[in-house]
Amino acid sequence: MYGSLGSRSPVMVMFLLLCTSIAFSASAETTLHTNNWAVLVCTSRFWFNYRHMANTLSLYRTVKRLGIPDERIILMLADDMACNARNKYPAQVFNNENHRLNLYGDNVEVDYRGYEVTVENFFRVLTGRHETAVPRSKRLLSDEGSHILLYMTGHGGDEFLKFQDSEELQSHDLADAVKQMKEKRRFKELLIMVDTCQAATLFSQLHSPGVLAIGSSKKGENSYSHHLDSDVGVSVVDRFTYYTLAFFEKLNMYDNASLSSLFTSYNPNLLMSTAYYRTDLYQRNLEEVPVTNFFGSVMETIHTDYAYKILSKKTSEKVKIKMPSEEPVDHNERRSLQNSNVQDQTSDTKTEAQQCPFTSTWNSFNKKMEKIENIDSLVSYGLLIMLPLLLISTWLSR
Amino acid sequence: MAQTLKLNLLLNLVLLLLFQLSYGTLVFGSVFVQEEEFSEELLLKPLPDRKVLSHFHFESRAPPSNTHGRHHHLFPKAISQLVTKLRIKEMELSFTQGRWRYEQWGGFDPISSNNAKPPGVELWAVFDVPQSLVDAYWKNLTHTLSGLFCASVNFLESSTAYSAPEWAFRPASGNLRYGALPREAVCTENLTPWLKLLPCRDKSGLSALMDRPSVYRGFYHSQRLHLISTESDSDGVDSGIVLEQTLTVVLQPSGWKKGKSYAGKTNMQPNWSISSIFGRKVSGKCILAKSSNVYLQLDKGLVCELKDLQKENAEYGANNSASEHSFELSVNPDKVYEEMDNLHGKSTSVMYEYSVDKYSDSQPFDLGLKWKIPVVWLNQQAPLHASRFLMGSGNERGAIAISLRSTDLSEGSGSTNAINEGCELQVDIFQVVPWYIKVYFHTLQVYVNQQRRAMADVVKKIHVSPSKDKLSPGVMEMILKLPCGVQSAALTIEFDKGFLHIDEYPPDANQGFDIPSAVVSFPNSDASMHFSQDDSLKKSPLLSKFQERSRVLSYTEVLLVPLTTPDFSMPYNVLTITCTVFALYFGSLLNVLRKRAGEEERLLKASKKTGRLSQLLSKLISKLRRRPQEPLPSSPAPSSFVSHKVIFKILVVACIAVAWQYYF
Repeated sequence: MYGSLGSRSPVMVMFLLLCTSIAFSASAETTLHTNNWAVLVCTSRFWFNYRHMANTLSLYRTVKRLGIPDERIILMLADDMACNARNKYPAQVFNNENHRLNLYGDNVEVDYRGYEVTVENFFRVLTGRHETAVPRSKRLLSDEGSHILLYMTGHGGDEFLKFQDSEELQSHDLADAVKQMKEKRRFKELLIMVDTCQAATLFSQLHSPGVLAIGSSKKGENSYSHHLDSDVGVSVVDRFTYYTLAFFEKLNMYDNASLSSLFTSYNPNLLMSTAYYRTDLYQRNLEEVPVTNFFGSVMETIHTDYAYKILSKKTSEKVKIKMPSEEPVDHNERRSLQNSNVQDQTSDTKTEAQQCPFTSTWNSFNKKMEKIENIDSLVSYGLLIMLPLLLISTWLSR
Repeated sequence: MAQTLKLNLLLNLVLLLLFQLSYGTLVFGSVFVQEEEFSEELLLKPLPDRKVLSHFHFESRAPPSNTHGRHHHLFPKAISQLVTKLRIKEMELSFTQGRWRYEQWGGFDPISSNNAKPPGVELWAVFDVPQSLVDAYWKNLTHTLSGLFCASVNFLESSTAYSAPEWAFRPASGNLRYGALPREAVCTENLTPWLKLLPCRDKSGLSALMDRPSVYRGFYHSQRLHLISTESDSDGVDSGIVLEQTLTVVLQPSGWKKGKSYAGKTNMQPNWSISSIFGRKVSGKCILAKSSNVYLQLDKGLVCELKDLQKENAEYGANNSASEHSFELSVNPDKVYEEMDNLHGKSTSVMYEYSVDKYSDSQPFDLGLKWKIPVVWLNQQAPLHASRFLMGSGNERGAIAISLRSTDLSEGSGSTNAINEGCELQVDIFQVVPWYIKVYFHTLQVYVNQQRRAMADVVKKIHVSPSKDKLSPGVMEMILKLPCGVQSAALTIEFDKGFLHIDEYPPDANQGFDIPSAVVSFPNSDASMHFSQDDSLKKSPLLSKFQERSRVLSYTEVLLVPLTTPDFSMPYNVLTITCTVFALYFGSLLNVLRKRAGEEERLLKASKKTGRLSQLLSKLISKLRRRPQEPLPSSPAPSSFVSHKVIFKILVVACIAVAWQYYF
């Protein structure tokens, strides 16, 4: 009894910490978008999973076409299909019957392949916990301003994704890895795109801000392949990826198609499954976010008068840009900016009071408790009150 | 006046002398000033089984960095950094798919000895660091190479994957590490970074021929990178870094089927050209290359065969030379080299040289070979043909056998034996076996000509380092001395199959495990070739490479050993079965303990005694009370008793609690 009463102060501290950490993370959102990265994973081994490799390679080609360079793409392929003995077309991979486009091309850079594609390596890439000897080309060297596209395809189920038929990636693991990435400031925005059966279940544990997720199918649904190539002998592409590519084929680097237009382009009748989007962790309005935010590498250019000046925050930059032209106005602005900062702080405390009503009541309760002098008597009274309650409950339950 | 004139003259003379001297030293100095060089060469060679061997050879040289700095014009920066950072003396990395057919494609020439590599990845390196640091440098090297060449070379990092051969793999090497990954896939992603090391990449010159689908459609392709550095050498000679990149491809000319359909001419060789093999033509050289040549080699056996045919023709009255009659080249060669054979003076191989300098986009180079008469020949073989296979059955134990078979089919073995009794053939064998194949070295048996021989008679030197579980592989190095006329020799060694940890099995464990190829070399046989025109040969790195003395070397097949693979669903099965057993046991036990047989019988009797009406009543009451049926009329009494009991219990507990609270 004493313990519970005494523990109130740590609880208070915890609540305060939570509130402040929320405030901090809000301030970190103002970092600039610096670069784009893509992690493309094919988790299936064996020839009959040709389509998963074709999916991944099609996405690889798309993001490369839209401007992400090879050194910022981590490509993981669990098996060798292009030079497989069963492949009638050596060193070529197709995602369509018409064989118009050789996805393997002359310039493909595979960073992890074969037995290297494991859950462990996947998490090492995401969280950046490598051995010192691992070369730069095999690392995800993103920073807090990076937009990352994470594409995964393979065989999955309720809250898991199989890696090479021997390991599983669970939704909890994925959420933990993403959380760790967020804490290590390895991304600003993350788009997770998954093409497996019951893909939506893989996102159920995610809770880090700035994460957007697209899955090919909901819980209990299967994701199907699109068509079979009788020359290659197996299915060559999955439906979800096929229609994603159909959307991107119309685009070039400078198009402003929004993410919501990508999301609405999926027709459940054509997919034979329902595409699922999880947007509650993502702050921006999807109507305004272009797809090149994740699938391309389009940088926002900010003109500065001075070369070689590294500016950390957007707001201060804007002020500095205007500096030479109108100085008096600038002073005012700066003042107003400071004022607004103060206002922000006050509003922060207000929101704190509003956000935690439970803490306030808990406080008042604690104070009242402190006023009572004889605690032992209170306890015995409490027990006495409990007795009739017990009696009543037993009588009722007869 | 005269004196002054004389003085002047003298002065002039002295000046002139001085000038000349200084000029001479300047010239002398400029000889030593090396520049970065790059050369590209392609060797084409028809093979007896209607295929064509094409061997690309690119060589880049960088002068030593301590005199010329670290800035490079042609030499790849990635490689020079690798060499300086990891202090590599010599290194070879090869990516191979397919198996070199020693019997058909030859086993005695420099290509088969130096460029025929085992399937998968093979890497060896010599470091210029103290013994204790070699393993750390090797680890870094594997990781760096895996990043450079998009391959899983980093699997060679673990101590179970590599070994340190002492003398059987390469003579006299101290800080050598050797590792092989037999199952590594080789594809475009490995070739592209390799091509990016060339100054012209695959955009112009001979490397532009490498159309990926046609290269990977081949029967064999081996991409190799070999570098020698004298950077960190303590010796006075410092030639910098020499990077040698070779790609050896065995391809099927596309016109083969037409050739086959010739009525009756089954021995007709296919006609081919560069464009029919690669689908492209050579449109000029790489501008940055110092030399750019294409060679066509006719093998010793082929030339011999053609000469025989010529003799036959001569009998029929034809006087022209053999080559003109038997085949036709679409382009006339710039030079012809003939191999010098000191020993026999018989017919030797012929090399036609074409310089690509004069060709351009508008006038591409396309060498074609058209056969006029059917020819059958054999390539020169290594003294013994080595092959390796598994013996025994079951998942518990087995044996590895290496068999060496004489390739000398024509000459009788008995006669050669009679000629020189003391003649001995030396064979070096180097074999690495992973730790889960637990080899028992005491079971080594040697058979010569199908008869078992004592170890000491045949094995001159042996070095064995047994494997340690999950730590290091088993290494076997040995030198065999066999009589020259040996028909066959065999080595067998027994092993037990080990168990891996469940996490260590690869995803496709049921396919079996690959044991890397064994290396069989013949140190006394020289694979090099010697050509007649020596002055111009020095310019060609490919031909000078051919002239270097090298021992005949061959690789055996990769062994596929099936291991006992666990049923990976077993843990699940075990869980379900144990759970079922537990449920059955505890269920029945509880049933026995809780069931009161006497009461049940009494209940049965009671239900029989009471009439239908009372049963209905009790049902109704139970429904009203929303409780399970209690069919006895006497039920109220015990129930009230129970409730009294419960209340009493609660009271007692409460009292205890109050008392405890009050006193303590």
